[in-house]
Amino acid sequence: MDLLRLPLAGSLLTRRHARTLLQLPLFVVSAAMIIHGLFGPQLAPRNLATTLSWVHFRGALVLVLLLAGNFFCLACPFMLVRNLARKFFHPVRNWPRRLRNKWLSVGLFVVMLFLYEWLDLWASPWWTAWLIVAYFAGALLIDSVFKHATFCKFVCPIGQFNFVAATVSPFEVAVRDHDVCDRCATKDCIRGVREPAAPLVSIQRGCELALFQPRKTGNVDCTFCLDCVQACPHDNVGIISRVPAMELVSDPMRSGIGYFSRRRDLAVLAVVFGFGALLNAFGMVSPVYALEQWLAKLFHVNTEFPVLASVFAFFLVLEPLLLIGVASWLTRVWGGSKRPWLSLAVRYSYSLVPIGFGIWLAHYSFHFLTGLYTFIPVTQSALTDFGWAILGQPRWGLPGLAPNVVQLFEFGFITLGLLGSLLVSYSIAVTEELVHPVRAFIPWATLALLIAGAAFWLLSQPMDMRAVVLGSG
Amino acid sequence: MVHEISPQPPRVGPVTIALNIKDRSGAPVAGARLNLEGNMSHAGMTPVFAEASETEPGHYRSMMELSMAGDWHVTVHLTLPDGRRLDHEFEIRGVEP
Repeated sequence: MDLLRLPLAGSLLTRRHARTLLQLPLFVVSAAMIIHGLFGPQLAPRNLATTLSWVHFRGALVLVLLLAGNFFCLACPFMLVRNLARKFFHPVRNWPRRLRNKWLSVGLFVVMLFLYEWLDLWASPWWTAWLIVAYFAGALLIDSVFKHATFCKFVCPIGQFNFVAATVSPFEVAVRDHDVCDRCATKDCIRGVREPAAPLVSIQRGCELALFQPRKTGNVDCTFCLDCVQACPHDNVGIISRVPAMELVSDPMRSGIGYFSRRRDLAVLAVVFGFGALLNAFGMVSPVYALEQWLAKLFHVNTEFPVLASVFAFFLVLEPLLLIGVASWLTRVWGGSKRPWLSLAVRYSYSLVPIGFGIWLAHYSFHFLTGLYTFIPVTQSALTDFGWAILGQPRWGLPGLAPNVVQLFEFGFITLGLLGSLLVSYSIAVTEELVHPVRAFIPWATLALLIAGAAFWLLSQPMDMRAVVLGSG
Repeated sequence: MVHEISPQPPRVGPVTIALNIKDRSGAPVAGARLNLEGNMSHAGMTPVFAEASETEPGHYRSMMELSMAGDWHVTVHLTLPDGRRLDHEFEIRGVEP
């Protein structure tokens, strides 16, 4: 199926200014969130910034990634401002070569997860508003200085989350007919289209993320911006259905990315994505507070920063190192693989993406579905705060779906993620290990089962949201 | 307005909130109408509502069903006998599961 060939969606998405049309409403909503976050009520359930960011945006994001693809990046409001700025600034610098990888963005992704817990972003409209401002400022600043889509490809933590999650999406931006590309002489999808009479004037961008369509594989680094769709003179690029997660199995030379098996930075991003999902869910249940109190006593501290830092160091560094190290070692020793253990760790780490996505999906859809209608009274209240009470008085107490019903969805998502991880690790083992593929598969299957077991346990715990357990600092 | 929560520590389920209301001169405020609203610190959670009844002049008691562990933010919507309306807010921290 090709979404661009569908009657309604196709005609909308192939319009020249489709992206701007999708970005504008999100920009208006973002501006309202910033204003309400900074100047509105500071109780999180009463504020647009916290309600829309941590309930609706995250939930809608993962559900759209599950059902379609990376459509948030397509409608990203940060890029609207950046594109406007590019009408005045024409960057000439290239992003430093040393930073052309995912290490910086992996670090920023971890910082984001840390700030979420440390600053209790979920409970703070003020900090949430500043976070949105920081994203706008970051995109504007970086892409005003550096060429191409530097912010999206190398910096944006949300973008990296979307790139990894979109590997399990059922659609990708892809070439319709490779024979057409073979005959194409202009390669406009990557070069862009220039004014014939004035070759220095660009009338349509090519891919700013260096993804050359004929050699592009999968969704990593693809923002669904559809520049390639607009640029292709042969109407040969679509949004095409595919088998989810299979791009994690194959290891071809990918345009703009290289080989997955040689990208340690990408593998670490996949690992942080997987274990970060557990850690983020761990932050909303009771046992985390008992652990924090215990660590505070152990370290003789009463501030949260060192305690939280050690929790993060354990769950995002030590635990993955240990578990992936053991799985790689077993694959080598017991599975008979000839590859070095680090190479095995990199290759198989991608198999953690589906279970990680299943946990993110379970966690975010819980908030989204149980708080589904909360945007209505919060919007009514915000409009009243802005002096424009056109929607009437807020109807507080509008319920979403019942938590016990949503829990069934949560368990379903984790199970789906587990099956995906088992399928990917088995397929990698069959592809890579000729002698004992099943033996090579078992350590990684065990790891996926352990993660899924931890997720089932976490999501069975009573939810417990506390803004302050220890002192700040 | 002085409030008291029981049981201590508060747990998920019904909690009793006793409210003692005095005016500026220290005299108990009798005949007020009190509606309580409890919100979690996380957005997206359904708020809980309760009314308070007067047990003796200036003393009110309410039963609120706290549906989740964590920090709760309670707003007391107070309607005085003369019709004036006031809001009073307090937190119930660390409600245990």
